[in-house]
Amino acid sequence: MMRRGFSRRDFLKTAGAFTAMTAIGEFPAEVFADERKMVRFPEKTDLIVLTQRPVQLETPLHYFKELITPNKALFVRWHISQLPTSVDLNLWRLRVGGNTEKELALSMDDLKQFEKVSYTAVIQCSGNGRSFFEPWVAGGQWKNGAMGNVTFAGARLRDILNKAGIKAGSVDVSFDGLDRAPLPSVPDFVKSLPVDKALEDDILVAYEMNGEYMPLLNGFPARLVVPGWYATYWVKGLTDITVLPKQFEGFWVKTAYRIPDTACGCIPPGSAPKKTIPINRMTTRSLIIDPSVQAQLKAKKPVEIMGIAFSGGYSIREVIVSVDKGKTWKEARLGQDKGRYSWIQWFFPWKPDTPGKYTLMARATNSIGESQPFESLWNPAGYLWNKIEKVEVMVT
Amino acid sequence: MRRTIIFSMILASLILAAAFAVAGPQAPVHSISLPETRVELAPGDGKVKVETFCNICHSLDYITMQPKFSRAQWTGTVNKMVKVFGAPINEEDSKMIIDYLVAQYGAGN
Ligand code: HEC
Repeated sequence: MMRRGFSRRDFLKTAGAFTAMTAIGEFPAEVFADERKMVRFPEKTDLIVLTQRPVQLETPLHYFKELITPNKALFVRWHISQLPTSVDLNLWRLRVGGNTEKELALSMDDLKQFEKVSYTAVIQCSGNGRSFFEPWVAGGQWKNGAMGNVTFAGARLRDILNKAGIKAGSVDVSFDGLDRAPLPSVPDFVKSLPVDKALEDDILVAYEMNGEYMPLLNGFPARLVVPGWYATYWVKGLTDITVLPKQFEGFWVKTAYRIPDTACGCIPPGSAPKKTIPINRMTTRSLIIDPSVQAQLKAKKPVEIMGIAFSGGYSIREVIVSVDKGKTWKEARLGQDKGRYSWIQWFFPWKPDTPGKYTLMARATNSIGESQPFESLWNPAGYLWNKIEKVEVMVT
Repeated sequence: MRRTIIFSMILASLILAAAFAVAGPQAPVHSISLPETRVELAPGDGKVKVETFCNICHSLDYITMQPKFSRAQWTGTVNKMVKVFGAPINEEDSKMIIDYLVAQYGAGN
């Protein structure tokens, strides 16, 4: 009954939160995913708890069978512990200023006056998959659930910046949200983009996720959306956009969220990088969602292997699948194309001939030839994880 | 009588507040409250220090979720908390905390 890594105390505590389910007497299946504790936070469903304060929650993999990740199931990741638990839209304003012609203080109604733009995009934490790195690295020990595929809608950042009027000589644009640090010595969570990046077509100040307002834990009332780039830039509870005449020097860009300045963003495992740059575009990934490791498969009975693939802003050209631990590969069929920022589903029919253990693998390549490595590419912060996954299944 | 009126006014405003709290974006105020349960650490020398200092800025599951780090890695983490984030921990307490983390949540060396 006892799961590895869990004390009886943990069990009792979890059980307490799920009295209704434990009343049946069995260990409720929903409470654990990969033997990790699940809790239901406000506006969210049961998600895997990494940390409670600040809140960090991971999405169980089975949600990725769907093309769109429901708002209640999307992962949650905050950095500093005073996160917003109440927002009054009468008071909330998005301030735009700094090196601009005008200062703006936009209400939600003002924000909705800008042209409304919508698309589906993968949102993925920089540290998604961190727990798989060897040697181990410190930080949020995510498996693969710090991501999701969501339809965002909002105003173009460029339209907002143009309304304020960017002055010549601007270098960076910084973004601050409602979260605050627990002590003055902890740096406020502020991010920045180079001004050219900030003026690209597709960056949004989004106020909707999947056609609804977003949960507070996912950034209500508005968050930045930088499609193709890791979610560290997608500042939640956005309140301040500041155009800067010089490079932004804040901790969360200058010191944290950096990758080695090498072609692969990697260095020899365990070593230290000579030079680093801010993390940016996502690497190309594919995941096998179905069958899962727990699947009960039968010889000679056909199944459809299903998964997802995405990359940092370029469409997926091909996904190849191996059912024999990488000896032979065949192309999978790709599903509905929802644009270059969305993930795409892929399908691969399979009929295992004989009983035994099979290792399934999938490898995606995007339209500019970026693909996935067979061996993990290491970096000290545990970012950019995109090693080809192996799923072992038993066929009886 | 007067009491009843005041009471029902309070009640009405409470109901109103509750309605706003759940109604979402149309309502001006959108609120949630966050649950937090105590994270139980493994017994051992230094446990109280860890509970005192490592709980200030974040919950203790930041510790319990990490893999079994070496002494060098735990030392690096504790030093980062002090030097980078300004954790108010003196050298003596840091040492005790590192010993505890290595013994209870580390590779033991
Ligand atoms: C002054 C505030 C503060 C104190 C006190 C503090 N931490 Fe942290 N800790 C942080 C911040 C900020 C982060 C980074 C949060 C993030 O990125 O999500 C962090 C992250 C961590 C992490 C994740 C790994 C990493 O490097 O990001 C571990 C492990 C950790 N702390 C352990 C500890 C331990 C052990 C103690 C007690 C010795 C401690 N913390 C005390 C602020 C603090």
